[in-house]
Amino acid sequence: MEHLRHVLPFVARYRKRLLLGLLCAAGSAALTALIPQILRTVVDELNAHGVVAADLIRAGGLMLLFALVDSLFRFGQRRFVAGGAYLVEYDIRGALFRRLLTLDQGFYGNAHTGDLMTRVTNDLSAVRQFLGPGINSLMTAVLFISTAGTLLVRTNGTLALLVLALLPIITLLFVTIGGRMQRIFRSVQDQFGDISTRAQENFSGIRTIKAYAQEEDEIRVFLEENERYRAQNVRYVLLSGLLWPAIAVVMGLISALVLLVGGRFVASGTMTLGDLVLFNTYLALLSWPMVNLGWTVNLYQQASASMGRIAEVLHRQPAITSPAEAPAQLAIGGAIEFRNVGIRFDHALAAEHRTLTATGSRPTIEEPPSHADRPAAEGWVLRHISFTVPRGSSLAIVGATGVGKTTLVNLLARVRDPDEGQVLIDGHDIRTLPLDELRHAIGYVPQDTFLFSVPLRENVTFGRPDASQADVDRAAEIARLSNDLNQFPDGLDTLIGERGVTLSGGQKQRTAIARAVLRDPAILVLDDALSSVDTHTAAQILAGLRDVMQERTSIIIAQRIATVKDADRVIVLHNGQIAERGTHRELVQQGGRYAAMYRRELLEAELTEE
Amino acid sequence: MAGANFEDDEILGKAYDGRLMRRLLVFVRPYWRQLAVAMLLLFAAAAAELAPPYLVSQAIDGPIAARNPAGVVPIFGLYILALITAFACRYGQTYIMQSTGQQVMVDIRMRIFSHIQRMSLAFFDRNPVGRLLTRLTNDVDALNEFLAQGMVALLGDSARLIFVVITMLVLNWRLALISFLMLPLMVVATVFFQRYMRASFRAVRQRLARINAYLNEQITGMLVTQLFNREGRSRARFDELSDDYRGAQFGVLMAFALFFPTVSFLSVAATVLLLNLGGRLVLGGLATIGMLVAFIQYADQMFGPIRQIAENYNTLQSAMASSERIFRILDTQADVTDPAEPQALPQPVRGEIELNNVWFSYDPAASDESPTAETAETRPSADNWVLRGISLKIPAGQSVAVVGATGAGKTSLISLLARFYDIQRGAITLDGIDIRALRQADVRRHIAAVPQDPVCFSGTIMSNIRLHNQQISDAQVRRAAEIANAAPFIERLPGGYNYIVRERGSNLSVGQRQLLAFARAIAFNPEVLLILDEATSSVDTETEMLMQAALGRLLHGRTSIVIAHRLSTIRDVDRIIVLHKGRVVEDGSHEELLTQRGYYYRLYQLQFAEQMSAA
Ligand SMILES: Nc1ncnc2c1ncn2[C@@H]1O[C@H](COP(=O)(O)OP(=O)(O)OP(=O)(O)O)[C@@H](O)[C@H]1O
Ligand SMILES: Nc1ncnc2c1ncn2[C@@H]1O[C@H](COP(=O)(O)OP(=O)(O)OP(=O)(O)O)[C@@H](O)[C@H]1O
Ligand SMILES: [Mg+2]
Repeated sequence: MEHLRHVLPFVARYRKRLLLGLLCAAGSAALTALIPQILRTVVDELNAHGVVAADLIRAGGLMLLFALVDSLFRFGQRRFVAGGAYLVEYDIRGALFRRLLTLDQGFYGNAHTGDLMTRVTNDLSAVRQFLGPGINSLMTAVLFISTAGTLLVRTNGTLALLVLALLPIITLLFVTIGGRMQRIFRSVQDQFGDISTRAQENFSGIRTIKAYAQEEDEIRVFLEENERYRAQNVRYVLLSGLLWPAIAVVMGLISALVLLVGGRFVASGTMTLGDLVLFNTYLALLSWPMVNLGWTVNLYQQASASMGRIAEVLHRQPAITSPAEAPAQLAIGGAIEFRNVGIRFDHALAAEHRTLTATGSRPTIEEPPSHADRPAAEGWVLRHISFTVPRGSSLAIVGATGVGKTTLVNLLARVRDPDEGQVLIDGHDIRTLPLDELRHAIGYVPQDTFLFSVPLRENVTFGRPDASQADVDRAAEIARLSNDLNQFPDGLDTLIGERGVTLSGGQKQRTAIARAVLRDPAILVLDDALSSVDTHTAAQILAGLRDVMQERTSIIIAQRIATVKDADRVIVLHNGQIAERGTHRELVQQGGRYAAMYRRELLEAELTEE
Repeated sequence: MAGANFEDDEILGKAYDGRLMRRLLVFVRPYWRQLAVAMLLLFAAAAAELAPPYLVSQAIDGPIAARNPAGVVPIFGLYILALITAFACRYGQTYIMQSTGQQVMVDIRMRIFSHIQRMSLAFFDRNPVGRLLTRLTNDVDALNEFLAQGMVALLGDSARLIFVVITMLVLNWRLALISFLMLPLMVVATVFFQRYMRASFRAVRQRLARINAYLNEQITGMLVTQLFNREGRSRARFDELSDDYRGAQFGVLMAFALFFPTVSFLSVAATVLLLNLGGRLVLGGLATIGMLVAFIQYADQMFGPIRQIAENYNTLQSAMASSERIFRILDTQADVTDPAEPQALPQPVRGEIELNNVWFSYDPAASDESPTAETAETRPSADNWVLRGISLKIPAGQSVAVVGATGAGKTSLISLLARFYDIQRGAITLDGIDIRALRQADVRRHIAAVPQDPVCFSGTIMSNIRLHNQQISDAQVRRAAEIANAAPFIERLPGGYNYIVRERGSNLSVGQRQLLAFARAIAFNPEVLLILDEATSSVDTETEMLMQAALGRLLHGRTSIVIAHRLSTIRDVDRIIVLHKGRVVEDGSHEELLTQRGYYYRLYQLQFAEQMSAA
């Protein structure tokens, strides 16, 4: 529950505001407590018929004045405290997003998008609730209860003790019922999260759902989820419905007791009627701070849990960082060397089991296990990989599905780091190069095309927002995106759908190629980037690339011989190793896996030739 | 960024719209019994809550004034009784309303979800996932808030207000009138602030939605942002959005910071008025002091409901806006619908496909202008026909490959066969029956299309292959995986078929995702037609060959259509169709096309001739 300490550094900046807020709260508490005093005097005087109209007006004027100043204080308190909370929330939100921008795929691979979103929105808002309204009412409650309490004790000790002893029941009631409500609410929310995840996956995968006419089954499963949600909710309502009526009953009971006991006092002459009215008024004024105290306790607990989840992200150290001291400004040339590289995945499945059992249904994001406690010789995807790509040459990587090609080239832009060995560019271990310079030097076309739902042009200029029109045109030309521009309603300025749904597969890939080419990178990486492009267009693209890529290094992954055959060098991955290496011609002659792959494509060419 | 997606969410909504209300009530009607009970309880509670101030005044003016301590006890007893009655009624009412509300929400949510399931793909092209989700979650919640709380509260508070006013008038009309003096000011202040708050809340919600949309896209596309060094810009954009959001939050803050002090000032002012004017009444003997004390409390009881009513008026308004958005979805007619009287396919289904002069555009407006050869010819780029008069006949059992440049319309063509979209002109028939005369489920049971983008759902390998279809057994899943040649890699995964697949299959390689999608198609065992849209583009040729061999045995005699760029993928087909800019330009067997020396010939040259010379 100590998680809220993480919020202190953010709050520290605004301590002046908090202090001012506290002052306002104190002023307001004192004034609020004084007003009923005046009321009492007037009632007593009225009761004794010892009052003239002028007295009434004077007392009224005084009450109004107090009330006015009190209002100003209240305004100030809210402004300072709640306003400060919004500022803190803003700062934390910014810090969270900055952290998200630095975190690596190791982190994202284990996190659910929805869960991360919740941390940035709901959890953060829970923290703000505590810092703003929570602290606000805490201040008011403590200050008001103490002033009003003192005044009451001075008026009638016995009755005051009765009231002060009974009022905390309200707080307790709130804490107990409220706390239990929260626990149920958590599971209600989780269930709700499941509903929206289910719907989201359904909508994003609708093409598949429809292709297999699975709509009815989807509806059935969705109904089941909804029924579960409803059942949880009814459990919640059973409790939450109790809260306010129960508090009202307790408040009413206390008033009744005050009437019973106080009435006797007045009747027996030990207390004035004004005192009784005073007690009644304070009672009404005191019950809210009491409720608020309970509420603040709950807010505190909620905020603490939420801050814990926020801190998990905020304090998560990115596994991929720029070195503290990078070599002096260097132009990356593009000679690549992989030296005895090994990679393994600490397996997602195991990780998930761990987190799920540890925290119930809400996954936490774990730090990766340290290397020491992993059994050796487990789960290597690739091992002992060494090769060089001289500056300005090209390398093709081929190999069976899932052999680790993508994983291997991902090392270059430091999407992840190798678990063993080194990757060097121009003789420097890339971990010693400034990260942004390294990435600036690389034009990467990922296998899984991701486009943003912004105009096509912005997607192309994504890596170089200041590019000139001529450069954009040239990149579109090289990627042969230019062929299709006249098919789009607004050419390059066409807004594309989410993830590019309104583009054809090849158009998406070619947009990604244009995006990479526009950066004019020292190293170009094409991960299966032509798989949805017809051979004809692919050949044109490759030819265009050869022109711009003279002097540049390129790495191409492909499943088509036509795409890789012109590379200066080809390596074949098999069973976590480099099985063959050489030029297309050499490998064909070697008669190994590559030759077999070649023959598979050739085979039927000959067959159909006849 | 996502700004364009919000136009739909800007609906403000009238405060009250009888037509919408009647439509909403349809959802509530089945539960009218529960609602009636809740209403009764509500009124009972409101009445019971009136007793305490009255009892206090009775105590003061009666036993206390008479210096009779014992006389307070019966009044105390009545007080407790009133409290307990109010408690029981309120709890019962809340519970009934809220649990009924939940049931209504399930009903509404299912209606929306089922309706969305019946929409065609064009609908999903137009509506971002985030927006649909908002309909299903936030908008339904807004309705719930209104139906389960707002509506009841609105009624309850009105009842309470009326009760209080009547009670006050009956008890002492002079004091009552004095108490009402502040009422107009209170109403004005409340209405003013409520208006302002509503606008601020709306701004907050909108900007939050914007942040959410941005955040979602950024998180999913984080790798691209990082690789392209866009962190700076993303940060700036996020700060901008976050700043906007904070600005809106400050609006709400100001509203509250002004409203609450104003209200408490006004209620002190009301007390002062009562004291001054009512005090004179007491002095003049026109009211008792006990009555005066009771009226100070009644005045507060009167202001409470006014505030509440104003607040719930906002709930009502946002519920109206939400229901308008929801009904807009529910009123969207599916543009691909089942016919009223679907025809049955002649049994056994053979799988003969015919396209007759098919014209198609993704832009629904295109159907207005009638396509003629000339317009298409003269304005090649201005119109957006994707398919321009395709006529084809694929006899049952034939295997066909569709090739063509990217963007030629291959994917669109097969989307039409599965009837994901309806064509603007022409006809597509299956075994001689127009597919528009068949039920969609029937069409798709016979036609399995493996889409170009291999979709993975979060879950296990097993659940990814069979989806939610309970008719597919574990054994069938395994068999499908073997035929698709996905089994070897699945078995190597930790957990095998229970391996946890992450969102969008991010912990599988792309080729593996394709193999899964393939296994899925086989598990669903299409009866006559299998369509593969670049289903193996990222799979290595060896795996592909094994796959095809197994598939060949399985699909023997069934019609199949394959789209592929790698010629080795289409090596065994009977017939090749070349699509170019939405037209069929070549059609025939491999040999025929080679002799034509057209597009296919060049493709072939490119892929093989060069290699042979290289070897
Ligand atoms: N959902 C859509 N909404 C609007 N336009 C679309 C949509 N899907 C595709 N298009 C457009 O229709 C044209 C044909 O696309 P289609 O996907 O059929 O091409 P394709 O031949 O399959 O190409 P590829 O080989 O690149 O996959 C393209 O210009 C594309 O931009
Ligand atoms: N995030 C991850 N967590 C766990 N395992 C992973 C993850 N990403 C990939 N793998 C596994 O690592 C292996 C190599 O994957 P990779 O994507 O590098 O293959 P690939 O050679 O690029 O295959 P393809 O040709 O299909 O693209 C695969 O078996 C895959 O299941
Ligand atoms: Mg890959």
